[in-house]
Amino acid sequence: MKRALEVVNELKQKGLILDYAIGGAIGALRWVEPFFTRDLDVFIILAKQSKNNELVVLTPIYDYLAEHDYKEWIGQWIMIDGVPVEFIPAIGLSKEAVEQAISIDFQGINSKVMTPEYLIALFLSAGRDKDITKIRLLLEQASVDHKRLNGILKKYNLVEKFDRLTNIKR
Amino acid sequence: MNEDNIKILIKGNRIISLKELFSEEIEARKEMANLSFEEKIKILVDLQKLAYTWGGKKDVIIWRS
Repeated sequence: MKRALEVVNELKQKGLILDYAIGGAIGALRWVEPFFTRDLDVFIILAKQSKNNELVVLTPIYDYLAEHDYKEWIGQWIMIDGVPVEFIPAIGLSKEAVEQAISIDFQGINSKVMTPEYLIALFLSAGRDKDITKIRLLLEQASVDHKRLNGILKKYNLVEKFDRLTNIKR
Repeated sequence: MNEDNIKILIKGNRIISLKELFSEEIEARKEMANLSFEEKIKILVDLQKLAYTWGGKKDVIIWRS
């Protein structure tokens, strides 16, 4: 995982991405008890937007990785030093989550991880059973700023969905 | 019989109720949440190994840690 984070930092240093943050299950893992997951989700803000705003082009990133011998794909994941990584373009809520992410140190490598409030909102957007489970874990075990969470839920019209899917008092 | 009244003899000859047992489990899980990120990733890799071997999930990729 250390090398994977180093490579993602290189993408930023080379100007291929403006910023990034770890989200998904590994993001949640920062805040809750350890649980099983398969991949590392990296949300990225791209340096260049394509002319067609509806088409997100990740090719420059894959080209850079291929140049550095990271060419193996397993399903939707690209393997970086033994870790399956998924690059997810950050747009809207996820872009704000990247911008508001906090620094984290992993074996001497500086990285960024999303805060519990944004992770909850993003899991809610996805809305699968496994996402709801993670929301529950975050609410039980992480220090959630409920005022901040409510603000995010309101901004992205997720209040009703939160109440309906989680059945948890905010 | 009320399940809350059931007592269990645990490690250290402690006798606790089921309710207390569940409550201690919640606290233990909260403590696990405070482990360092590095520690959690080590545990994750162990969980991946466990899923692959004991769980028979041969599609699980065990991360290089």
